[in-house]
Amino acid sequence: MTPVAGGSALSLSFGFSLLTVITLLIYTKNQDYRLFLVGQRLALGVSFFIFIATFILSYQLIISNFDIDYVARYTSIETPTIYKISALWAGQSGSLLFWLFILSIFSTITIIQNQNKHHELMPWVIISLTITQMFFLILTNYVTNPFKPTEADFIVTNGNGLNPLLQNITMAIHPPTLYLGYVGFSVPFAFAISALVNRDTSPLWIQSIRRWVLVAWLFLSMGIILGGWWAYQELGWGGYWAWDPVENASFMPWLTATAFLHSIIIQEKKDMLRLWNMVLIILTFTLCIFGTFLTRSGVMSSVHSFTESSLGPIFLSFVFLILIASFGIMYIRLDDLKSPRKIESFTSRESGFLFNNMVFVVLCFAVFWGTLFPVISEAVRGIKITVGAPFFNQINTPIGLILLALTGVGPLLAWRRTGAKNLIRNFTFPIISGFVAAIFFIIIGYKGYAVISFSLCVFVTVSIMTEFSQGIRARTNKFKESVFIALVKMISKNRSRYGGYIVHVGIVLMFVGFTGHAFDREKEFSLQIGQVDHVAGYEFELINLSESERPNHYAWISELRVSDNQGRFITNLYPEKRVYFHKNPDINRRQPHSELDIYSTLNKDIYSIFSSIDNEKGIAFLKIMINPLVKWVWIGGYVLVFGTVIALWPRKEK
Amino acid sequence: MNSKNKFKLLILGVVFVTFFWITWVTFNPSNSKAMATFISVKELTENNINKRIKLGGLVKDGSINISKANQLDCSFVLKEGLSELVVKYGRTRPDLFKDGSEVIVAGQYLDGIFYADELQTKCASRYEGDLRNENSYNLSEIEQ
Repeated sequence: MTPVAGGSALSLSFGFSLLTVITLLIYTKNQDYRLFLVGQRLALGVSFFIFIATFILSYQLIISNFDIDYVARYTSIETPTIYKISALWAGQSGSLLFWLFILSIFSTITIIQNQNKHHELMPWVIISLTITQMFFLILTNYVTNPFKPTEADFIVTNGNGLNPLLQNITMAIHPPTLYLGYVGFSVPFAFAISALVNRDTSPLWIQSIRRWVLVAWLFLSMGIILGGWWAYQELGWGGYWAWDPVENASFMPWLTATAFLHSIIIQEKKDMLRLWNMVLIILTFTLCIFGTFLTRSGVMSSVHSFTESSLGPIFLSFVFLILIASFGIMYIRLDDLKSPRKIESFTSRESGFLFNNMVFVVLCFAVFWGTLFPVISEAVRGIKITVGAPFFNQINTPIGLILLALTGVGPLLAWRRTGAKNLIRNFTFPIISGFVAAIFFIIIGYKGYAVISFSLCVFVTVSIMTEFSQGIRARTNKFKESVFIALVKMISKNRSRYGGYIVHVGIVLMFVGFTGHAFDREKEFSLQIGQVDHVAGYEFELINLSESERPNHYAWISELRVSDNQGRFITNLYPEKRVYFHKNPDINRRQPHSELDIYSTLNKDIYSIFSSIDNEKGIAFLKIMINPLVKWVWIGGYVLVFGTVIALWPRKEK
Repeated sequence: MNSKNKFKLLILGVVFVTFFWITWVTFNPSNSKAMATFISVKELTENNINKRIKLGGLVKDGSINISKANQLDCSFVLKEGLSELVVKYGRTRPDLFKDGSEVIVAGQYLDGIFYADELQTKCASRYEGDLRNENSYNLSEIEQ
């Protein structure tokens, strides 16, 4: 019965979405305000039914109603409740419904927030949002329905269960966070389209979406970082980023969105780059849909992708539809997008922003090229060439370093034009610091990109500190405040600017972490109890091997004593070899899993994997990695979130 | 030259440099593992290709042979359709590697043997596969 209710809610929602679009289109022709109100309410109805459908599916997952195919495939009776809920986004049809659910939350907020605002823009904003909902409604209604009943010639008494890799709290949070980011860009995109249709060229709509863009960007950033963190903690290859197609799929919209975040400042302040901003937001939204497509269609083989499905062509058609429609409208409105003012000088903040934007787009294109190269190569030459991480690292490292350098250069440039005197005054100290750092790093034996990257990190940090200290000095001189009060007041009076600088500090810290990768060491070896082996100056002694049976798995635990080259004790590590579903009589259904143990310090991580065990002889087979500076990636992530929250924090109404 | 043209020149410059850089890396990757040609086992064994290769297939039942000495060196038979090929691999194997699992390997082909340096398993079929019929879990067992 309930599955039927869920399916009906989805059908009703689709019907409502059609009515919404038709009503609002008629309204835009005849301007009868009652029609607008009807359309608005219909749009709320679309979201309402999606909420209902999502709640029904979640409830069915919790009560383990295996009459629904989705429930039977992704959960089992013994799945813990929290992961029964997270199973909502573990499979294909559920995750599409979840996409819709988030979009509906955003759409509802947008409609309610703007009930008395933006009367010109709202009809087309709602139309754009509803069309996006409609697309996902078509998928969940007709292509992959999450409420499909179980089809089997036996009674399904228990489901397949959730993949143990996904039974991890980060993995429960990572997809929703990423989705909040992906879906969040639907709103700014809808405003952009509406502004185009309405020939609204004022920077006003930009102001009203700035916060949306920041929120979406924050979630996208967090989603990406959480994904990396999870991979590092769970997957056991010792890294956090592999340039996997699906990782790239989330990184590409992040790049264009970051460019957009910077360039809307120019439009807001100077009314420049109108056309460019349109291009960026259209690209960002399209890349978000494209990202969902790469994840869901199985076109690319990847750890993330689901089995191949019929979704591919439909998704691609939607991507093309968005591109053709949005760039079509943009072309028609080209005259309105001519900015009244031009950038005056190379040495201006504006041109710094423009250059930063171009590099972001270049980086995005490089990632796009690498990701789609197998497809392109197969289409053009008939040979399928796959591209690995070394390719991306080679192509993107210099581009990333240019971006890092620009992070330091930008804030030092003045608006409109930076005079020669100011140029010298602003740049001397940061550049000298960078050079001194470079000499230092060369002396202690670092080479190549590592020297460049670390020196740039110093340059950017000094440049940001200069900005802060100048601001603080101005306040302490003028208002006679203490340094701390001046810092707090300065930040709170100019949240987006200083929040932005704090985000830059976060990025610098992350670059420190990325650069540490150049110094990674790893070794695979076997030990019996009492034996030792050495990796990069550390000594590993196997103290003990034990076994333990736990509620949902069986574990072998090795106890490793780690000490440094002078024999000083550092830590004990307990990597485990686990077998999930160990009671399953069918050996093929049992699932081995290596649970790693990591000793993490600011300086380096000691990463241990228990890869296999010889029970008869009592031998543990281990893989140890020494990963310098990884922790800075996560610390940088926290700083990035902190800075963004400052930039987002609302001002007190005066 | 007025500023508008200067900026046009700058943009053109960036586009040109980007194009050059991407083409350069595409045709001269610095790392031999940067790219691999994805072909079928049949094509490989018939043509004896001496490039970095990626292959996909199933692990033939009962073919896994793990060295007793270090538990790292292993060989197995990769099956794709009717074609079979012996694969050797000497690093830590993924958890899901076992008889019948779907794998992707990358490496070099030499004299009838494929020397892999990358071994990936596809996600467990369990999670995407058929619904299970057997009562593999007795409720009493779980409640223990």
